[in-house]
Amino acid sequence: MSDKPAGQRRDLKALLAQEAGKLPQPERRAFLANGLTLAGGAMLGSATSAAAANLPPEVPPWTRSVGRGVVTVPYGMPSRYEQDIVRRTVPWLTASAISSISFTPLHRLKGIITPNGLVFERYHGGVPEIDPAEHRLMVHGLVDRPLIFTMDDLMRFPSVSVIRFIECPANGGMEWRGAQMEALQFTHGMLSCCEWTGVPLATLLQEVGVSAEAKWLLAEGADGSGMSRSIPLEKALDDSIVVYAQNGEMLRPEQGYPLRLLNPGWEGNTSVKWLRRLELGDAAWYHREETSKYTDLMPDGRARKFSWVQETNSVITFPCPENGLKQAGKYEIEGLAWSGRGRIKRVDVSVDGGVSWRSARVKGLILPKALTRFGLEWDWDGGPALLQSRAVDETGYVQPTLAQLREARGVESIYHKNAIHTWRVAEGGGVTNVQIE
Amino acid sequence: MCRLSRTFVGLCALLAGSACTPEPAQPPVSVASGSGAGTMAVAAPPETTPSATRIGSTARNIGTLDDIEELSVAIAAERRPSGYFGYGDPATPEQIAGWDIDVRPDGKGLPPGSGTAEQGEALYEEKCSTCHGVFGEGEGRWPKLAGDEPLTGERPEKTVGNYWPYASTLWDYVHRAMPFYEPQSLSDDEVYSVVAYVLYLNELIEYDFELNQSNLAAVEMPNRDGFFVDPRPDVVNAVCMEDCKNPDDIRITWDSTELGVTPTQHFQDDVADAAAPAAVASATLDDAVGQRVYDQACKTCHGPGLAGAPVVGDAPAWAARRDQGLDVLVRHAVEGFQGEAGYMPAKGGQVQLGDDEVAAAVSYMLQNSGAAD
Repeated sequence: MSDKPAGQRRDLKALLAQEAGKLPQPERRAFLANGLTLAGGAMLGSATSAAAANLPPEVPPWTRSVGRGVVTVPYGMPSRYEQDIVRRTVPWLTASAISSISFTPLHRLKGIITPNGLVFERYHGGVPEIDPAEHRLMVHGLVDRPLIFTMDDLMRFPSVSVIRFIECPANGGMEWRGAQMEALQFTHGMLSCCEWTGVPLATLLQEVGVSAEAKWLLAEGADGSGMSRSIPLEKALDDSIVVYAQNGEMLRPEQGYPLRLLNPGWEGNTSVKWLRRLELGDAAWYHREETSKYTDLMPDGRARKFSWVQETNSVITFPCPENGLKQAGKYEIEGLAWSGRGRIKRVDVSVDGGVSWRSARVKGLILPKALTRFGLEWDWDGGPALLQSRAVDETGYVQPTLAQLREARGVESIYHKNAIHTWRVAEGGGVTNVQIE
Repeated sequence: MCRLSRTFVGLCALLAGSACTPEPAQPPVSVASGSGAGTMAVAAPPETTPSATRIGSTARNIGTLDDIEELSVAIAAERRPSGYFGYGDPATPEQIAGWDIDVRPDGKGLPPGSGTAEQGEALYEEKCSTCHGVFGEGEGRWPKLAGDEPLTGERPEKTVGNYWPYASTLWDYVHRAMPFYEPQSLSDDEVYSVVAYVLYLNELIEYDFELNQSNLAAVEMPNRDGFFVDPRPDVVNAVCMEDCKNPDDIRITWDSTELGVTPTQHFQDDVADAAAPAAVASATLDDAVGQRVYDQACKTCHGPGLAGAPVVGDAPAWAARRDQGLDVLVRHAVEGFQGEAGYMPAKGGQVQLGDDEVAAAVSYMLQNSGAAD
């Protein structure tokens, strides 16, 4: 590691890469190697001169030419300068990419909406490719009239659109014992927030007529894992939605195209993707993903079942390991807060490891069970700091410390770790993931 | 707008109300409890800074939008009699029977059929042991199935024997999702047999015990009483603002960079990352397709060598296969193949892949094993 602030190094690297792109292959390699030496040697002037031709007072080539025309790219993609902003995984977490997880790059997202191509992935049997014309939703069991719906049928029902987060309950679950994820993308990236459009599940249940003895509902996917979860009828009638669109377009295959369930505020696994079947019953099914998995083991050897809600959580997204600080001066600390029980009411931020706190400004939309963005202006003196955020939701629940969670649950429960998170800012501006006592 | 229909009366009232009679600014906090030195129990943060003032006004304005969203959901979900819309077709008993595969702890959903561990042993070794181990010990990071270690130790490994509360869960899961690459391919008798074998590996039934529709629910699993309903919220933190702890007591207990186990190349010291697209473009299209398909469908087994798969880079193993003829190799990959060394599922279990994509992946593996022509 050089002693340059991380952010400044990255700028240099981007410039070097940009310049290198204009050279033939062998020269490019040589240039990159030399450039690195220059950057490491703090010869800022030399390194940046490569791009000076495009800076004031010079006029860059893109101003003296015309660009590509319409529908050169029929479905638009981000600028090539954003190509590093992608979902990423930590390969050793799982045995196979077919049953695995990827993480949303929270460190480079703005506002509260996750772009469709960056929504985190979780599959148990890979992504099925389903022709919507051949997809069916069967609703049966303890109902007056079992029905099979086509996608056209489902899209005729009165629709709703809501902005809600989806979070895997294992988000942060690798850090019960200690800090080991070296990036925000990996500590908190099993989290996304979209505008979801579909039919309230209550509407579908009214249409089939639910029997009085029905208390539970089994939701089942059409994928190769046949994902299945038991959902209590109260939730289904409260705010569950059978979803076919996200952020204005049809669901992405990764998110369940053409149809998925959404249980707002609940662990993501219950929002079954590629939804093909809903069965009403009088008892829970106790399937694999609600017994062997997605149960929370306590120190006494017993385990919590039906642990559905994602409790109040928050994290600072700037600065973070991927986005270090540069020179001392004024910054806005930014972050995200969310609660599966409702709206975020308040977020406090500490820069001294939790000795003192200041209330952050909650920015933009404050919606129930949605990501909520906060910011706090901070004058960084260039010295070490320990940054933390602490969210409070409308029920009055205060995001806990990791010590509190460990005391109540031990370190083997994997799921539902919503503890206050700590970033260490080192002198020089580098940021690392740490745990403190 | 407000005369459109009764449905919108509530919405209009809400809009009018918020426009004409804005609510007084509420303190943005209502924290229920808090105790101890330095704790501010309930009160809102002092609204002295410009940002604090903005919290109140923002929350009030946005609250209106939020209420509209909720109301629109309520309208769409308005109570209606069953069959009101008349959409969809009746699901026939035959249609339901084909899809209704779920099984419950009371045995509801189990089909007729039976099997013993003795009958399941060969099937398990052929279809399951590659990932789960011959004795259910689990290969690599694949799930361990057998074992009775206590759940109170450090990093306990959960198995069917020490953790799963019901045998029905095992039947349901094997039937719906296993074998991993060929879900829903086993007959009901085969599922009974494999389930019996896994229960036998956990010493829960005898080798010759016949598991069937009427006795599976009665198999008592050791951890059947090991679960209780989620009691959260289970911790209470306080909103402390000043002197919440002694700065001298703070110590860093963990630093993630000391382990160095997560990818960081994309944001640290890796200029080559930014130049990657040019490198990809210089490769041939087939190479790119081959690598993509390999990563997606082949790597799971051909990386570590599971299921007798030749490991990419193992030149002799690939040369031997190449010598059968590239067309034979591709056909085996496309159609599936049971060889002496192991089992190759058709297209690695990913049937949506085109034959040409599979061929590109085969070519990619040969090239990276020094076995290309």
